[in-house]
Amino acid sequence: MIIGRRYIDYKSLLPKIVAGAVVLVLAIFPAIDHSVVTLSILISSGIWGIAAMGFTLILRTGQFSMGQAAFMAIGGYVAAILTVKLGVPFWPSFLASGVLAGVVAFLIGIVVLRVGGTYFSIITLAFGEMVRIVITNWESVTRGAAGILLRPPAPIAIGNFEINFATSIVPYYYFMFLLVAISGLVFWQIDRSRIGGTFRGVAANPMLSEHLGVPLMKYRVIAFTVAGVFTGLAGAFHVHFISVVTPLVYGLWQSIQIMMMSIVGGISSIVGGSLIGAFALYTVSNYLTRVPIFNIQYLVFGAVVVLVVLFLPRGTGIIDLWSRFWRKVFKDSDIYEEFSTD
Amino acid sequence: MPPAGIWVDGLVQSCIYMTMAFGMVLVFSILGILNWTHGQFYMLGAFVLYYAVTAGIPFPLGLLVSGIVIGGLGMLFERIIIKPLNTPPYGALYVTVATLALIFFFEGAAGLAFGLLPKGLATVLSGAISLGSFDITYQRLAVIIFTLVVMSAMYFVLSSTKVGLAIRAVAQEPVAASLYGISAARVSVTVMGIGCALAAMAGGIIAPVHSVEPFMGRIPMIMSLLAIVIGGLGSLTGAIVGAIILGVLNSVIAYKISFWSEVVLFMLVIIILLVRPQGLFGAAAK
Repeated sequence: MIIGRRYIDYKSLLPKIVAGAVVLVLAIFPAIDHSVVTLSILISSGIWGIAAMGFTLILRTGQFSMGQAAFMAIGGYVAAILTVKLGVPFWPSFLASGVLAGVVAFLIGIVVLRVGGTYFSIITLAFGEMVRIVITNWESVTRGAAGILLRPPAPIAIGNFEINFATSIVPYYYFMFLLVAISGLVFWQIDRSRIGGTFRGVAANPMLSEHLGVPLMKYRVIAFTVAGVFTGLAGAFHVHFISVVTPLVYGLWQSIQIMMMSIVGGISSIVGGSLIGAFALYTVSNYLTRVPIFNIQYLVFGAVVVLVVLFLPRGTGIIDLWSRFWRKVFKDSDIYEEFSTD
Repeated sequence: MPPAGIWVDGLVQSCIYMTMAFGMVLVFSILGILNWTHGQFYMLGAFVLYYAVTAGIPFPLGLLVSGIVIGGLGMLFERIIIKPLNTPPYGALYVTVATLALIFFFEGAAGLAFGLLPKGLATVLSGAISLGSFDITYQRLAVIIFTLVVMSAMYFVLSSTKVGLAIRAVAQEPVAASLYGISAARVSVTVMGIGCALAAMAGGIIAPVHSVEPFMGRIPMIMSLLAIVIGGLGSLTGAIVGAIILGVLNSVIAYKISFWSEVVLFMLVIIILLVRPQGLFGAAAK
């Protein structure tokens, strides 16, 4: 870093301006196009994007969670049961769902992350299936396969202006925008801070880190718990958005989908990669569900992911194509490093 | 005390988990990765057997056919997908992603090709043997005997043939094994073939007891993964013991408290991890 001499580096500024413009367009997007179809695709990709961010954060510590959808299920069911059965208002139930998902993640984390690695993957996979089996069968609380129907949250009055969730999809969009912004900020700050650096160290060489006095467990549990909290919040919002929750909404397929979104989007950037991956895959799957062949979605998804993993260079997600593009534009290599750091 | 039939049912289930877990551990000990698609090879094996039997091939021969076909598919799978991906430093990550994605590829393909409705296979071995207070159908007895035969055969192959010696050598020390002229690549393909054939035959032998459908592979896969966790990753004895514990306990506990047995079993696995992180039979550090 050069101190005292400041000049504008156009090469690093231009990509940032483009990225900022995209965020700005997204912020005023309902003014451009407020059709339900487009907005619900964006809202859903934002929700799944948060879950994918959680997955990437856990992956930063070298662990591979295969049950992230279970935390969405916990968040979603807590929100649904609290609001519908117990009559709790929207906000307390929303926050409670995040807290409870975080507590569950913490409890599982302190046991299973001791061994980590493949054991962790197997246990999270089994945990996801177990949660699904319990919510399918525990009919007195979760209403089983029938699911729980939710009413839209109560309108929020600000002066004369009223935010009404029942009449329009736009409030949901801004709620999603805010939720993604807050969780994105938290994940980004964690990732670039000292903790994030320690995560990478723990992943790269657990034994060395332990010998240097870094408590492995502490950092793994932090990552898993933070991911659990935000995944739970995303699940709670998702349930309010689709206004119904059934055991089919969060299963093994969704857990794997979260993983695919993170990997396809690119794990080099925790926020950008997850959101882009979620948007790309959700859009594809949304269009595939309109193809009148049942199961075609599974087939195409599986094949595409395998082909991506086989034929793209290792570690390449969509987000990495972005920095490659700018490197091509400027025919300069140092700008690549500039972007690959965050 | 649950009736004896429940215990036998549990034993039949554990035989299936055992055969699958054995194949997975075998693959893990050579390739260093878990094949997450194992449950889908089990499902495909059941489908191959179903179509073989409907085409008029006798059941034992159909079982062999399904083992050979799916074993070949597994070998192809190792060559085309696992081998190119399984290179350091991120090999395990990408193999995991690819095999997880293939779960859905195979399930989707099976759903498209064979239909989603469960297919019942007519009982091949009718009749039952009466053991005092309860009966065991010959079909269930066949599952247990088949597993005993397969396990003994695997024990024989691993302990006293050249192939088994090569497999054990590569599992222990790949570099030294290659210095003695053992091709690790060929051993990998062989082991993958054996593992997938075992899974396919497990699916085939259980097909007349349950029904055949594209999503049948998930629960056995998760149960055999948990069996591997109980027994310790990389231990063949551990996989067998873990499968017996899980299968029998699942059946017996479910008799008392229905679906909560899954939670109890999950807690049991967690407690075992808490007390013995390396599993019951696992080596201390690997």
